[in-house]
Amino acid sequence: MSVYVYGIAASAHPDLPENAAGIGDPPRPVRIVSQGRIKALVSDAPEKIRPKRRDLLAHQDVLRQAGESGPVLPLRFGGVSPDDETLLSVLAEKEEYYVERLAALDGMVEYNLKATHDEEAVLYRVLSDDPALRESVEAGRRTGGGSHEDKVRLGERVAQAVQTREVQDADLVRATLRNLSEEVSAGPKSVGWLANLSFLVARDRSAELVNAVDVIRQENPHLVLTVTGPLPPYSFVE
Amino acid sequence: MTVVPAQQQSRGSGGSSGLYDVLELVLDRGLVIDAFIRVSLVGIEILKIDIRIVVASVDTYLRFAEACNRLDLEAGPRKDPGLPDLLGEMTESGARGKTKGALSGAAQTIADSFQQGRDEETEESDAKPRATRTRRPATRKPKEDSE
Repeated sequence: MSVYVYGIAASAHPDLPENAAGIGDPPRPVRIVSQGRIKALVSDAPEKIRPKRRDLLAHQDVLRQAGESGPVLPLRFGGVSPDDETLLSVLAEKEEYYVERLAALDGMVEYNLKATHDEEAVLYRVLSDDPALRESVEAGRRTGGGSHEDKVRLGERVAQAVQTREVQDADLVRATLRNLSEEVSAGPKSVGWLANLSFLVARDRSAELVNAVDVIRQENPHLVLTVTGPLPPYSFVE
Repeated sequence: MTVVPAQQQSRGSGGSSGLYDVLELVLDRGLVIDAFIRVSLVGIEILKIDIRIVVASVDTYLRFAEACNRLDLEAGPRKDPGLPDLLGEMTESGARGKTKGALSGAAQTIADSFQQGRDEETEESDAKPRATRTRRPATRKPKEDSE
């Protein structure tokens, strides 16, 4: 029977969510597999695993529960061991490494921040920062927008100003929050946020990070910031 | 771990926003063990969702030019019902920070949003992006076009 693996914790972890609802329909109960100084959170694997909402949520929720009372190394969704023996041999082989990572991540949580621009607000921002550009917009309006070429030229200048602003704002967010965190990890680049950053934060500094985001928001109303956390340290396990 | 989308979900995203916002972490980050079988994620365009960056194209330029023409430069940002009331939001979050701390004062916990997501009960890989929340002039083309 193949085994679905959620995450890895230290054998000293005080409260792993044994029997919690895992993936599958009906949900497979979570069980604990021990090997040396580490344990794995596993369940039977359903015959067919696809990234369904229900199962993604179950994966995340098992890890969230486990993370409440001790460090846990989250596996990426969809990790299946052919059987218990394979799992045990992997755990044995990498025991040292996992123990080291668990110690390094003890007391740490991940916060993910995604930033975009509010379109209208950022246009006001770039026009107020650049009087010449603003004058061009006003001149264009007085002449009914001008020719097609005029519009393209003006739009290009505005687009460049917004792009510059995107880079500045990404730097601002990163520089401000990195001081409050242990590590920063950039999310996949092809996702089109102007910033998609994960921060590894000591749990007892979480409030500082969240408050710092609030300050950025207040000072930069053209920025739309979505902060999610605390999360299992998905971005900091390798 | 009792916290937070540490922010106001001011644009009324649905209960599944918690999942949406961590989707690429669950699917793209986390430990991978070589000896394991990996589930195929074919069909999920996880890394292509919600492209919001500014793209260099004539189409984009025209949209920006038009968007600028619609601005009321004298009045400043208008109070669009669709936009958050920034002043009110600031005051609210400031007060919250003082009285309860930003963490405990957060409107919705991750657990809550995940629970809601579960209750919605959907089959199949609906790991699709929620509706785009903001009007963007440059959402049409993938990034590759910009280079």
